[in-house]
Amino acid sequence: MNPVIRSLGEFVRGAGFALVLLVVLLAVNLMLNPARFHPAAWGTLIGLAAPLIGAAVASAPVILAGRGGIDISVGPLMGFVNAIVIQALFLQAGISSPLVLVPAALLIGAVVGAANGFMATVLRIQPIVATLGTYLILAGVTLTILPAPVGPAPAWLKAMAGPYSILPLGAIFLLWWLVRRTPYYDQLMAVGSDDRAAYTAGVPVTKVRFIAYVMTGVLAGIAGLMLTALIGSADPNIGPTYTLIAIAAVSLGGVSLAGGKGGLVGAAIGAIAIFLLQSLLTAFNVSTYVLQVAYGAILVAAVVLTALQDRHALRGVSR
Amino acid sequence: MNALRSWLATTNGRIAAAFLVALLLHLIGTTLIPGYSSPFAIRAILVLAALLAVASVGQTLTVIIGGIDLSIPFVIGFANVVAAQLYGQGWNFVLVCTLVGLLAIVIGGLNGLISRGLNIHPLIVTLGVGMIVQGLVLLWTKGFPSGSAPPAVSAFVSIGGSVGPLPVPWLVPSVAVMTALIVLVLARTPYGRRLYALGSNPGAAPLALIDPLKMWVVTYAASAFFAAVAGVLLLGFTGSAYGDVGQPYLFQTIAAVVVGGAALVGGRGSYLGTIAGVLVLTEINTLLIGLGFKPAAVQAALGLIIVVLVSLYGRERHVSQTI
Amino acid sequence: MAEAASLQARDVSLKPGRAAIAETIRAGEIVGLAGLDGHGQETFLKAMAGLETPASGKIMLGVEGNGRPITSLAKAASTGIAYLPRDRRSTGIFPTQSILDNFAISTVGRDMRFGLISKAERRKRYETYREKLSIVAPHPNAPITALSGGNQQKVLLARALALEPKFLLLNDPTRGVDVATRHVLYDVFRGLAADGMALVILSSEIEEILVLCHRVLVFREHEVAARFSGEGMTTDAVIAGMFGRAA
Repeated sequence: MNPVIRSLGEFVRGAGFALVLLVVLLAVNLMLNPARFHPAAWGTLIGLAAPLIGAAVASAPVILAGRGGIDISVGPLMGFVNAIVIQALFLQAGISSPLVLVPAALLIGAVVGAANGFMATVLRIQPIVATLGTYLILAGVTLTILPAPVGPAPAWLKAMAGPYSILPLGAIFLLWWLVRRTPYYDQLMAVGSDDRAAYTAGVPVTKVRFIAYVMTGVLAGIAGLMLTALIGSADPNIGPTYTLIAIAAVSLGGVSLAGGKGGLVGAAIGAIAIFLLQSLLTAFNVSTYVLQVAYGAILVAAVVLTALQDRHALRGVSR
Repeated sequence: MNALRSWLATTNGRIAAAFLVALLLHLIGTTLIPGYSSPFAIRAILVLAALLAVASVGQTLTVIIGGIDLSIPFVIGFANVVAAQLYGQGWNFVLVCTLVGLLAIVIGGLNGLISRGLNIHPLIVTLGVGMIVQGLVLLWTKGFPSGSAPPAVSAFVSIGGSVGPLPVPWLVPSVAVMTALIVLVLARTPYGRRLYALGSNPGAAPLALIDPLKMWVVTYAASAFFAAVAGVLLLGFTGSAYGDVGQPYLFQTIAAVVVGGAALVGGRGSYLGTIAGVLVLTEINTLLIGLGFKPAAVQAALGLIIVVLVSLYGRERHVSQTI
Repeated sequence: MAEAASLQARDVSLKPGRAAIAETIRAGEIVGLAGLDGHGQETFLKAMAGLETPASGKIMLGVEGNGRPITSLAKAASTGIAYLPRDRRSTGIFPTQSILDNFAISTVGRDMRFGLISKAERRKRYETYREKLSIVAPHPNAPITALSGGNQQKVLLARALALEPKFLLLNDPTRGVDVATRHVLYDVFRGLAADGMALVILSSEIEEILVLCHRVLVFREHEVAARFSGEGMTTDAVIAGMFGRAA
């Protein structure tokens, strides 16, 4: 079979339900709420969805790396970047140039990611515990330097909220596209699916996992900037709320929590599906409570259906 | 040094170390803060620790089996609100507790059934189920739960309560008895031995005549049941219903289990260790608040201390040593 | 006394379209299963343990013409069949648990006194098998991983024997076991058969089958290609059967 078609097929199978869900939700949204989903408004919509997409995409690399790899500090890291960029750099130090703020956000992300990676791969603390520590530290520090929301954000950053939010998203996927063309990608997937076999085959397992954590950190830094653009201010309470929903989006998008299966595009599709669900339910003017039930129900239904489908596929192969 | 290290590698070593850390923290508190060891302060620490201990039962069990339960805070909130609401509507409180307990068992059983039956990571399943449960409760109460706890429950957990001559509320000795029972169940019943075996090697368990699905359903049902108990106790502690009352327990239960020496890969850990972890966490919290730290700073310090403690004695093996 | 129960494969086909296997395992005999890897002998052994459902046919336990079907491992265990898995590491031991725990796990309900597991009872049971199998181990509360491969295998064998089976199914029991331990195991197997237990041994080593078994089934392409017993059981004959050549 043509390799392109085959990899497309694999992709559809992996992210299948999220993709179907996405199309259905998009159609329903378009029907019920044509004004909000008018092509002219798509820019705004992308801006609204960008932080969640960023958070989901950021959560993916460490999960792909396997053996319980997970980073629950992604949300608080976004909040921390948000607080540092606005409160410390823009309002207190008076720096507004993107040439400083963007590298600063990426650097913070990389440093936190490296710290997580050091704990999870060199000290070998279980990832969920290590990043739980980081979660608490970052959320606590953020609240300390920024007890209450402040604003505003630099004009250029606020301008990134609408259609231009496609730029950072585009940058992320360009980066991932490049990563997929390096041997590192194969090593990451090998480590994720079977680290013992990968180690025996000479893959530097520790290094590969460490880099995954740094990648997650950098991506979370970008997601933090997108969050800042969207809210146009600094708010210590918003970041942490992204953690669990991002992991849900990743899982919805066909990335296996066991590692080695899925990719960033699937994670993004999962995030968009969740975003569309949010818009649909808010369009119906339902309470946030229904939203909450729907979140949970869709999440459980999606993983259950994916599992049933996998089981079916497996049976087809073995017979 | 090496002897110390190898001692710390044993389960008993880890538990003892965690208890020592708790004691050390208490001594530091006593030297630094006047009144830290006053009867009232100790009673408060014991009550807070006992509540966390009840909430952490389920996390301990699910971690030993090789899973995790993120639905605990949601089930705590569910039990808290539903119990208050129904009691407020004039229901008999025993009936209320029975109903809440049964519902919790169903919720937990569902967690176990989906996770094991379909081989989906329990992180996602318990999160999804937890969100559904919380949403349903919010819908039912329209976000404004009402009702209160019966005086008996409030007295049971009240910091000022006493048991005969003992200056602690009934909660504390009850949790001590519960601890003894759980330790006994884990060490000396077929369920307990199978729990460890299944967590230790899921591939070998069915061949050793262990039914994994049954074990997961029972364990997650038990986890939700204890979360519901914690929810009702918290209702007595705070006096009124609050849907998010369980949220702090999401990370605290995981932290307590891990500080107590359990490995999140399964097959290791003990409830006594969790109790040690619970004491460490409660001491840290009390100490930092006593030193005048703001809640945000306390949270940050807690994160730092968890990481330091676990890096001292909770490290995993290198991949080369697992081949 | 009634005729002793036997383990019967009735028209068992391991794959659709393959010739059916009819076989009866009787008390006191040691039957070997040979064949190149993946030619059906493992499926056959697992089917007898209730772990796999054959494409067609039934596994029955009982007297001829009247028996209970074996459809699951639990059913097999309750009717007197024990199975020793092949891969010690992935499907045998519980690495975080003690020697005693590893020994007792399949029969954990048997040591109950007043609703709790009696440690003394469990220890007593373990000691009988420790002597019988000459397990060389430090304190029984030591982790199973402290033992050598051979002794781990003996503990797993003790676990299976603790079920007090009438039929013992062994999946390559001496794989990765040192020579001295092998001979201990051979003696144990012969002793068990002499006491009336039926043993089915899958082995990847022909020599082992020849020294140990009363008869052998040679598998090829999911069928029994040849059967040998007594004088006819030679290395050449078994190898010829494995490769599908006439001896």
